[in-house]
Amino acid sequence: MGRTVGIDLGTTYSLVAYVDKETKRPKCIPGPHGSTLCPSVVSLDRDGSVIVGEPARRRLLTQPGRTIYSVKRLMGRGPADVAGELKIFPFQIDPSSENVIRVRLGERVFTPPEISAFILRELKSWAEQYFGESVDKAVITVPAYFNDAQRQATKDAGRLAGLEVLRLVNEPTAAALAYGLHEKQRGLVAVYDFGGGTFDISVLKLISTDQGDIYQVLSTSGDTHLGGDDIDNELQHVAREEIMVKFGVDIATQPAAAQELRKALIAAKHELSLSDSAGVKFPLADGRMYARTISRREYDQLIAPVVARTMVPVKQALADAHMKPEKMEEVVLVGGSTRVPFVRQVVEEYFGRRPHTELNPDAVVALGAAVQANILETGVQDMLLLDVTPLSLGIETMGGVVAKIIPRNSTIPASAQDNFTTGVDNQTGIDIHVLQGERELAKDCRSLARFQLKVPSGPAGLARVEVIFLIDASGILQVAAREMHTGTQSTVEVQPSYGLSDAEIERMLEESIENAEQDFSERQLIEARTEAEVILRATEKSLSQTEIAIPADERDAIETSASALRSAIAGQDYKLIRVRVDELNTTTTPLAERIMNGALATALEGKQLDQV
Amino acid sequence: MANGNDYFSFFGLPQKLRMDTAELEKRFHQLSWKLHPDNFVRASEKERDISLALSSELNDAYRAMREPLGRVEYLLAHSGMRKEGAHKQQAPPELLEEVFELNESLDELRESREASEHGADSATSGVRAKLEAAEKNFAEKLEESDAQLDVIAGEWDAAIDAGADDTARRALMTKMNDVLNRRSYIRNLVNKVAAELAI
Repeated sequence: MGRTVGIDLGTTYSLVAYVDKETKRPKCIPGPHGSTLCPSVVSLDRDGSVIVGEPARRRLLTQPGRTIYSVKRLMGRGPADVAGELKIFPFQIDPSSENVIRVRLGERVFTPPEISAFILRELKSWAEQYFGESVDKAVITVPAYFNDAQRQATKDAGRLAGLEVLRLVNEPTAAALAYGLHEKQRGLVAVYDFGGGTFDISVLKLISTDQGDIYQVLSTSGDTHLGGDDIDNELQHVAREEIMVKFGVDIATQPAAAQELRKALIAAKHELSLSDSAGVKFPLADGRMYARTISRREYDQLIAPVVARTMVPVKQALADAHMKPEKMEEVVLVGGSTRVPFVRQVVEEYFGRRPHTELNPDAVVALGAAVQANILETGVQDMLLLDVTPLSLGIETMGGVVAKIIPRNSTIPASAQDNFTTGVDNQTGIDIHVLQGERELAKDCRSLARFQLKVPSGPAGLARVEVIFLIDASGILQVAAREMHTGTQSTVEVQPSYGLSDAEIERMLEESIENAEQDFSERQLIEARTEAEVILRATEKSLSQTEIAIPADERDAIETSASALRSAIAGQDYKLIRVRVDELNTTTTPLAERIMNGALATALEGKQLDQV
Repeated sequence: MANGNDYFSFFGLPQKLRMDTAELEKRFHQLSWKLHPDNFVRASEKERDISLALSSELNDAYRAMREPLGRVEYLLAHSGMRKEGAHKQQAPPELLEEVFELNESLDELRESREASEHGADSATSGVRAKLEAAEKNFAEKLEESDAQLDVIAGEWDAAIDAGADDTARRALMTKMNDVLNRRSYIRNLVNKVAAELAI
């Protein structure tokens, strides 16, 4: 059985974290480049291999047509939803896109969950290298304001990456969990989470009970398309206009130059979080230079409309929780965009108190996810998250009007029952359309799914079907139906309006296994070697312990097995390595048992030798 | 209901409408620790299904029970005594005159808004002030309804304590249903005015 990790699958960066068994503190896991931040960038190499993270980010400049960033913006969305984004983001939406978007990278097309799965797989391998053990389960965070389709897409990505997603946790809730642990906070807390592509606000009540602490979300609101990307776009807009006017060059038509300019402006943005002004220098292809200085004052004015947009959900969330801003006892800032001084100023003025920024805003969500992953993995339930659904769930009724059945900000899991009957004689099915959103009319809400309830043919009104709509603890909809007269449980085939069907995911899993035959054996080799190194280190450590007497023949046997394993590691056969690992495990068992029974037993507390 | 017959017994409480909400919250938290799916991640599929069903029911119950109005609505619906007025859109007789005036003002506001859209200079401040006054008036009536409901809730609780018979209970529930219908008519009115004023 593999380990469980917490993953923050972010728009700009993704992170993986775990809880250290010794310190009981959550910790982020670094990747091969030493950083715990994995840029959420994926690139397809000409040889067909997939490159993720920092090396992929560098390829944004050299191979923009084979490289994608901010794919989170496309999760759970249809082609029509993202038409506006295409003006700003260089996504290459493939014409084959129907309900699910397909993005072109070089010669291949991928769905957003497949691209996200590449990022998750990368983080999974970071953790596996770090632990020397396999990782097969995860808690993944999502923006609190993500709808059902966006959540389902995230869960699908996990599945495609070979991870069982135990729970999706809302990002601000995860942040509150990390802060609560850090600060021992109690009472009413507002979490303002302004990331690379999404904005969330959650109002929580932290309560101490006999069994442990409860993190109860009272309300949440947000905008899944509002983030640091929008600040970048404001800067790009100004720079592109100025370049057009001054040099007569349209940067938008030159993908590589556009990425170069974007990079320079992001650097300036970061500089403006620290200094009162920042310089931008951007050489044009013909050698001319676009150079200018941006003052903090000019910057603040430029981004004021973006920051103002965050205050709409903030007010909504407080109103829904029946709260006033001054009632909040703590305000927590999360997400990279809260490094912007003007954002901090606006939040501080609104709530009338200095917000918490002690924890790294990039890492705090992953740390909270690790805490929840640890609770689910160990079963030690000393904290409880009670989260809410961000959007009302409804069913389309006569005239295209939506009947709300589960109101927004209901604690999840939440459910609702509704009864349906036939309207005409010999009708054999009842069509049901499920939606999410706050508007009155179906056309203004988000379509989640349409399905047909099969009923026995008969006079109108005879068949009665009871349908149970249930939103689970991850915020994902489940539907069950029962025919009242016969009592038969009918299976409900829910075809998601904007998502992959089970069959499609199965097919992708199969294809990825075929394509990845090579990857697979390479990965197996890496995993087997890592495992072998762990057991070799542990063996050496045990042999060097002078407190335990080791008979000479036993020592010889162990050393023979160990050297056989060392030569296996030097080879390419992962199966042989595994055989040798098992052999070494067998020869060291008597020693391990003596150590366990010996004076060190208490210190080791029932661990296997290979974990010492 | 999986546990007892109704939401009241789900929380181990008598079927009374005036309630110590701090106590209700405490019980909600205790039950959450027991039933939440986080506790059953490693359990069998059957146990996970049961946890999901029971914890969603707990959350549904708490949502219905935490506000006084929700408790009345739930009690009536559960007893089959929630009957919406036959003429839902018709004003209660005692409000007829005020509603008539209100609708006139709303028409006036819409007309003057249209006129100003077509360039005509028209002052809407007079009619707005009138509507704001009407909104306040009806909002007060909403509070009156809540107070009325609270009085009947007290009568209901006394009847429960006294072991009142079905007939007495039904009579009280009918009274509550009437107030609910009147209240819902007024609330729609207030929302309508607020929406017009917000334009």
